[in-house]
Amino acid sequence: MTTTTAATDIARPAPSRPGSGDVFRRKLARLGWGFSAPALIVIAAVTIFPIGYSIAMSVSHVDVSANGISLSGLTGSNYSVLIHSDLWRYALFFTVVYTVITVAVEVAIGTLIALVLERLAGGRGWMMALLLIPWSMITVINAELWGYIYNPTYGVLDDIFSRIGLGTPVVLGTPTPAIISLMVADIWKTTPFVAIIVLAGLVMLPHDLYEAAEVDGATGWTTFWRITFPLLRPTIALAVLFRVLQAFGLFDLPFVLTSGGPGHSTTSLAILGYDTIFNDLDFGPGAAVAVSTAVLVVIGCLVFLKVFRAQVGRDA
Amino acid sequence: MTVLPIRKRGRHSLLLLTALAAASALTVAACGSSSNTSSGAAKPTGSATSGSITWWASPITTTSPDPRAVLISAFEKQYPKIHVSMESAPTDTDTNRASLITTISGGSARPDVFMGDVIWPAQFGAHGLAVPLSKYLPSSYWSSFAPGLVKGATYKGQTYGAPFFEDQGFLYYRKDLLAKEHMSVPQTWQQLETEAVALKNKGLVKYGFVWQGASYEGLTCNFMEYLGSAGGSVLNSSLTKSTVDSAAGMKALSFMRSLITSGASPSAVTTFQEPQAMSTFATGQAAFLRNWDYGWSYANTASSPSKVVGKVGVAPLPAFQGQPYPGTSNIGGWNLYINPHSKNQAADLTFIKWMTSPAAQTILATRFSEIPTVQSVRSSSAVVKVNPVLATVPHTRLIPRPAQTPQYAKVSQALYTNINSVLAGSSSSSSGLSSASTSINSAVSNSGL
Repeated sequence: MTTTTAATDIARPAPSRPGSGDVFRRKLARLGWGFSAPALIVIAAVTIFPIGYSIAMSVSHVDVSANGISLSGLTGSNYSVLIHSDLWRYALFFTVVYTVITVAVEVAIGTLIALVLERLAGGRGWMMALLLIPWSMITVINAELWGYIYNPTYGVLDDIFSRIGLGTPVVLGTPTPAIISLMVADIWKTTPFVAIIVLAGLVMLPHDLYEAAEVDGATGWTTFWRITFPLLRPTIALAVLFRVLQAFGLFDLPFVLTSGGPGHSTTSLAILGYDTIFNDLDFGPGAAVAVSTAVLVVIGCLVFLKVFRAQVGRDA
Repeated sequence: MTVLPIRKRGRHSLLLLTALAAASALTVAACGSSSNTSSGAAKPTGSATSGSITWWASPITTTSPDPRAVLISAFEKQYPKIHVSMESAPTDTDTNRASLITTISGGSARPDVFMGDVIWPAQFGAHGLAVPLSKYLPSSYWSSFAPGLVKGATYKGQTYGAPFFEDQGFLYYRKDLLAKEHMSVPQTWQQLETEAVALKNKGLVKYGFVWQGASYEGLTCNFMEYLGSAGGSVLNSSLTKSTVDSAAGMKALSFMRSLITSGASPSAVTTFQEPQAMSTFATGQAAFLRNWDYGWSYANTASSPSKVVGKVGVAPLPAFQGQPYPGTSNIGGWNLYINPHSKNQAADLTFIKWMTSPAAQTILATRFSEIPTVQSVRSSSAVVKVNPVLATVPHTRLIPRPAQTPQYAKVSQALYTNINSVLAGSSSSSSGLSSASTSINSAVSNSGL
């Protein structure tokens, strides 16, 4: 089959006979696979191979030398090391808590911003451009900038505190403030992303429902919870999913700002995996950290989708 | 309802998205994988006079001119046919090491020569990530160094690094402030603490004493100095068991914590690495500083951002009350190593030999206040005259880190993370020490994370 015939096939109106439609669709699908093949091969090379290799590493004895990495034997010891490690359990706990809190706050603030933006008649473009600045900056640069704010000797925060006579705040040097300051930096950066996604969902909502609500005399509050929020669920779910996947891989902020400290208080799973692999050269347990993190985040997202779908079903 | 089909389609793409993102999380783990590149059985002689090499080195000082550039141009003047290009490495020694390990285990031929920490030989030797230099350089070469340095660069009978410059911990103090308050240079830690608090309370400085308390290798160095003064150690002599959870360990750690609680050191010291501590002192905000050799040239070079030029004194570190003065200084410093994949090992050796020659070592010692590794330069009166740090060296007592074990990185990590959390006030000295001890034991027995 050539491209030209395919093009005419597509241009032709849908065939009326049921059988020929299936054949046509199958042909088109085959052609589609053919065109996608080069890209798929590249994707396979850069994702599927490394994933397979990571899984293999996580169940093998791994030796690293100047000649690269060699795997030998099949073992569950890498995972048993994890399960018996207080540090891994803490990192898991920290990552989950961090993800839940930051994503919840981001979705709340992001939705608020989107609602405001939607009502904004003029200047919406400018506002969106301004909002997107934090999101468009590379996280490492963001982290360095926040580092200047939090810096205890010449930092912005230190300056403000000492000007109003509150002394020197210890931001990154003690556990709870360090965790909160990472969250603040994260929320500052990613809330605009949530806002943009929610805004996209908002502008697509059908107007007739709002008109009907107005006719029925519904208040703004009722309209939001009865119409806007239920209709926005798929959009919010998408935003949450994106954010959970990203927040669970928390690395840049603690790497730049705290190196996982003070103590281990900001050691996320990604930081732990990095330390285990690149500082300790323990590639096996490090790969086990990565694989278990991926499995956990997939399970988390599936559970989220399931619960979310059940809720939508109930509402409908 | 119109939402239904959208939701159905959305569900599929959401699932796909989940899978893709999880996939990208996984690829990180595979970053270290590589193809096999075996180094050829070349027989470098160290007398090559042509070629081009890449030298990986972290900044030696932050003053200008850059010592690395000065040394390279002096080398190229002598060997015009060898071209050296520099790659600047991270200042954090752990990040530096992680980058090198991925590069070398990934089979890269660049960098050819790398400046690596004195604590690396065991790990790099055990994993074959550096060329055993003792195979190529004669014993007459190795005997030119000051005692102890070559032993520190040796793992299982092979020497992997050529000692490039030595670092020790020193106490830098503000001469002007001490004179004003009629205080003497502290000889005990307790005296340092008292003076720091007094100077701070009088409003003469913002902070009393600054040092490196962040959760990283430098904190291990700082801790070793208090521990050494208190008479303690980290590992037993056979490197198989932790000895840090002891009365001496307790004395060292609770004193470090007391520096913060008494107000002698700022709480923020738990986030300080060398650059933060150095700049706090050099901008006149602290009365005392614990830092390495380069602190002198940094604080006293008019072209650097220093505001305390001419007001700084240097002394050995204090001891604990009742112990002989001076206290112990940790040995740091840097060696030159060769990447086993380097294509031009002969030129690499020429470069290393020149960098450890009296000419290069004199430049480092006289212009950048580093401690030279070559004995003849170190004891030359002409050099000592212009390097007051060097004049202090014969009076210091040294304590090494327990870096002879290939598990040193983990041992150190166990120390600095636990100590950092004690300093931050999130655990007590005794629980910090016992938790460090447990982690160290599992590290040296090669179990646990």
